[in-house]
Amino acid sequence: MIKYIIRRLLYLIPLFVGILILVFAATRMAGDPVRLMTGLNPHITAEAKQQLREYYGLDKPLYHQFSVYVWELLHGDLGNAYAIRGGLPVTTLIGQYIWETFKLQLAALFLSLAISIPVGIMSARKQYSKLDVSVTTTSLFGTCIPIFYMGVIAIIIFSYYLGWFPPFGAHSLFAERYPFGNYALDELWHMALPTAVLTFALLAPVVLLVRSSMLEVLRQDYILAARASGLSERTVVYKHALRNALIPVVTYVGLYFGSMLAGAPITETVFNWPGVGRLFVEATNRLDFPVLMGITVIITLMTLVANLITDLTYAYIDPRIRFE
Amino acid sequence: MKRKSPKAADSKNRAVNERPGGISQWSIAWRRFKKNKAALGGLFIIGVVIFMAAFDSLIAPFPPNDISGFYKGEARVPPSWDHLFGTDKLGRDIFSQVVYGAKAALYVGFGAAAIAISIAILVGLFSGFYGGHIDNFLMRITEIFLVMPFLLILLVFLRVIIVLAPSGIGGLSVVTLMIGAFSWSANARIVRAEVLRVKEYEYIDAERALGASERRIIFRHVLPNVLHVIIVLTTLQIATAILVEAAVSFLGFGDPNTITWGQQLQNAQEAVKEAWWEGIFPGLFITLLVLGFSLLGNGLRDALDPRLRE
Repeated sequence: MIKYIIRRLLYLIPLFVGILILVFAATRMAGDPVRLMTGLNPHITAEAKQQLREYYGLDKPLYHQFSVYVWELLHGDLGNAYAIRGGLPVTTLIGQYIWETFKLQLAALFLSLAISIPVGIMSARKQYSKLDVSVTTTSLFGTCIPIFYMGVIAIIIFSYYLGWFPPFGAHSLFAERYPFGNYALDELWHMALPTAVLTFALLAPVVLLVRSSMLEVLRQDYILAARASGLSERTVVYKHALRNALIPVVTYVGLYFGSMLAGAPITETVFNWPGVGRLFVEATNRLDFPVLMGITVIITLMTLVANLITDLTYAYIDPRIRFE
Repeated sequence: MKRKSPKAADSKNRAVNERPGGISQWSIAWRRFKKNKAALGGLFIIGVVIFMAAFDSLIAPFPPNDISGFYKGEARVPPSWDHLFGTDKLGRDIFSQVVYGAKAALYVGFGAAAIAISIAILVGLFSGFYGGHIDNFLMRITEIFLVMPFLLILLVFLRVIIVLAPSGIGGLSVVTLMIGAFSWSANARIVRAEVLRVKEYEYIDAERALGASERRIIFRHVLPNVLHVIIVLTTLQIATAILVEAAVSFLGFGDPNTITWGQQLQNAQEAVKEAWWEGIFPGLFITLLVLGFSLLGNGLRDALDPRLRE
């Protein structure tokens, strides 16, 4: 088991370096970052530009820059931002934004699992019933609506038409506007709409997945055997079938958990949410390469770790799976 | 295997039935497909959008960037008989823009899917068929593309390309190329798995014993037998590519010189409160077109699956 984990970890290193090279190449493809940074300012002298280049180490050859980046990364240093917030260290910058993103994504993930698993099971147990047909139709539709479109509709209906929730942002600007003067309530109030939209977007594919995998499992012989031996329907479904039916769901959630930050730019732009996703869009627009590299590195690391954890969870759920 | 368009095969069904070889796989698939109402609905939606794209200048009542409405005081007017979907802040007719956006959506969808699936077929075929070191190498690269944050890297590449070529060479083509180049990995894995399955069949051994070249085996015998999977993957990839392009345009990284539905939604963002119609209609068309391709893809999967027999 430990051997397996170590081997997997070693195996992740080339994968990670490959992605690093890809992002690094993307950021250097445009040529000299200093030229891009100072392009709009005619007053900067050639010497000042040269100083900037030396300051950021951009006068060195590319492979040197890359190895310096990796070396600093190993020491937990992601460099300093070029443009955003006056060149703050990228780790500090991300630290300020990441909680807002996590808050939203984890709430949505939790809610969608809490809803989709029971709904998917019900749908599978009554295949082709009215309930099943409406659940599958809604879910299929849900997978086709772009999340930003759903966000726009939610804002129009619930913020502007009904006036229930604030359309943008994560906090009220003034304490007087907090509902009942409570900070936590204000946070929840702002979270409601984006969380609901994200939950629905996540819900649709998971419901379809739970349903189809439950249907598959319920058709198997051991379920027939369990039923034949007189176990109650509840025990058969929730104890014997569910455990196996959840394996694909674990894969999906594992992959999602890793990549949830990657989808954040869209949701956070719609709701003007002060999270990592919007930071990334801003950094891309302003060509702030250290910031966008830093965010990509963190997301990639999360994805890799989540994949590893997913693989390990398999063995817990399904004892048939062994580590070679 | 005879390659025939399903429709042609169907019209000759009777003649085909009398042929000693029996009816072709394609006509069996088409017969099954015809029974699937949802899939036919998907085909209908796609047909409507293709019609919109083909006859855009005839259908649209106004030219795409016509701002003459602005001077008549028709800026940001709600839907009416003159402007079915209302107008935006410059007095442009939203309905006309939606009609002109159809071509862009189809272009990106088909283009990006063609690129992604071509790479996926090549990688999947070679990886699955040859195995060993080739497989190992190709699958490691596939994994990199699978694990990396796809949307983020796409945004960086698109932004950098805008900087490199400010006038926007290619524009929408670059967006299409980039989406295609970054979305082949999951498809390649599925094609590979399918090739691994087909490779084990006796007829491949028989062909080898007959002395057929590897190229002949791959392209004449393996490829046609994984074709049903490829068709389904392509259809679903078109849907995904349309969604990705819409997202990219919505974030402001699309081609600024082409009207796309995602871009219309982005423009609508600034006035969600005052003018709901600016975003609702383009978004509706994105959803419908994506739904159309998803329904078609699911229908094709059921119709083409050789394991499901009548």
